[in-house]
Amino acid sequence: MHKATEDVPLRATANRSGALRFQLVLAMIIPYLAMMAFLIHSARHATQTAIVASDFSPAMIALASCMVFSVVLTGLFVFVRHGD
Amino acid sequence: MLLLFATASTFGVCGPAYSAQSDSQIRQAESSTIVFFVVFAMLTLLISFWAARRATNSSEYLTAGSSISSGQNGLAIAGDYMSAGAFLGLSGAIYASGLDGMFLAASYLASWPIVLFLVAEPLRRLGKYSFADVLTHKLRERPIRILAGASTLVIVSFYLVAQMVGAGELISLLFGIGYGPSVIMVGLLMIVFSTLGGMRAATWVQIIKAILMIGGSVMIAALVLARFGFNVSDLLKTAATNHPNGNKIMDIRGFAQDAVATLSLGVGILFGTAGLPHILMRFFTVSDERAARVSVFYATCLIGLFFAILFVIGYGSIAILRGDATYASASGALFGGNNLAPIHLARAVGGSILAGFISAVAFATILAVVSGLLIAGASSAANDLVVGLSGRQLDERMRLRISRIAAMALGVLGILLGLACEGQNVAYLLALATAIAASANFPLLLLAIYWDGLTTRGAVVGGTFGLISSVVLTAMGPTIWSKVLGLGPAIFPYDSPALFTVPLTLFVCWLVSIATAEAEKDWRLTQPSVGQYVE
Repeated sequence: MHKATEDVPLRATANRSGALRFQLVLAMIIPYLAMMAFLIHSARHATQTAIVASDFSPAMIALASCMVFSVVLTGLFVFVRHGD
Repeated sequence: MLLLFATASTFGVCGPAYSAQSDSQIRQAESSTIVFFVVFAMLTLLISFWAARRATNSSEYLTAGSSISSGQNGLAIAGDYMSAGAFLGLSGAIYASGLDGMFLAASYLASWPIVLFLVAEPLRRLGKYSFADVLTHKLRERPIRILAGASTLVIVSFYLVAQMVGAGELISLLFGIGYGPSVIMVGLLMIVFSTLGGMRAATWVQIIKAILMIGGSVMIAALVLARFGFNVSDLLKTAATNHPNGNKIMDIRGFAQDAVATLSLGVGILFGTAGLPHILMRFFTVSDERAARVSVFYATCLIGLFFAILFVIGYGSIAILRGDATYASASGALFGGNNLAPIHLARAVGGSILAGFISAVAFATILAVVSGLLIAGASSAANDLVVGLSGRQLDERMRLRISRIAAMALGVLGILLGLACEGQNVAYLLALATAIAASANFPLLLLAIYWDGLTTRGAVVGGTFGLISSVVLTAMGPTIWSKVLGLGPAIFPYDSPALFTVPLTLFVCWLVSIATAEAEKDWRLTQPSVGQYVE
């Protein structure tokens, strides 16, 4: 670990990259919360016959979408950072 | 990572019901399991002896000399997540009630982008042995290291106890030996393995185990799907027909009861991963930030794949095991507990050889996870607690010695606590560890990296508040207060307090930092901004 000794002005906000990172975090948290809200709603209002005609229930599709989104967002970030 | 609440709650129900199977079946299962177990135990010991020859300095012992490649680290991180808890616990949770287990899986996967965006790269750039290295980059070293060391050891201890209790019950079930000998056997192997091999041995065992776990799980899932002509629709319809809850297993059930409790659990998981010491340690094993972020991507892909396979295994166990008197009682409860769903399923679709292989992989998983925990605890003890308390830097030889002694001491502590906590529901220990990580470690890391206004006093007061509040509120929650201690209705209504403690800790850090900014101004003007290292 190295420690710089030069004077650095105090700043109240993170730099531009930091702001982008927080936007990306929000981009992950909001779909996650939406998924959670959808799951709770669909569980409370599920009908017994809702899913028998299809392979996957809407809740399963919501969960899978959130999981895929997590992987895709991670991959996009890594891909873009490698282009720096 | 053996950190799934579903796990622990069901570990407790493992018991003598396993003996309800016929003797010949048990003997057959035991012999194949024991063969694989001995092979794996020998393999891990060989790896630890190989790694021990290289671990001549603390950097090599604690972080494998930062020479692990991104692919290897991605596999090792994924290995942490493909724990016995995830494999057995999530499958068991799906077997018991359907989609609830997958909700936990999705939550854990969603925590990885947050780790990547916020902490992975700064941690690799500024840290060497523990996350406190990042904090001390601009804050006063002694109080910060003492706080970081204390919170790390608390988290590691709770985690360790949960692992040891779970391991003891699982091993005693799989191998037909008592709980005590199981805990001691796992503990001794863990101590030898961690003390000798260090991070390099733990990493390679995680890598090998992750490959075996994915391979074994894919095999089980393929054999399950083959039974249904590779028609997922038929699999799900059969599962819904077999399960007493019918189509309700296609929705979450338990987590739909209380939205605030579920949200709090979600917050704890989302931010807790970014504060778990043994996860953060993984970023010190690679050479640079690029390798750190690529390893997170690999890990996320592998973890996502693993959870998708668990979906098939979980619903496959409902479709195949429920109603089969060989594996489940008339009520649907699996012999040996619902956590054994994937083991029973492996036996049902692949015979005793596959079941023995999967059981031994589960054992290797436990060993790898607890070893990673010991090394994270040892690193923090040597680099944070001892340095913070003594007020002087350790030389290379002393750091290595203290790290090894700390690993040994933590291992002995894990065995003793594991023996003392026999029969305990370990769910609250895991919940507590996550909540502390989210409440005490994550806010400090976040503010230290992204807010230059954080002062030493703000960090110490806020971190202490997060540590204590998360412990106290979890203790006053329904699981500990009502179920474990039997003290009547819970004072705090939620098991995970993270929804409240994380923002409160951030607020306390901010408030105290604002109040003490003037007092620390001179000191801070001479310190670098951590934010300048974030690109």
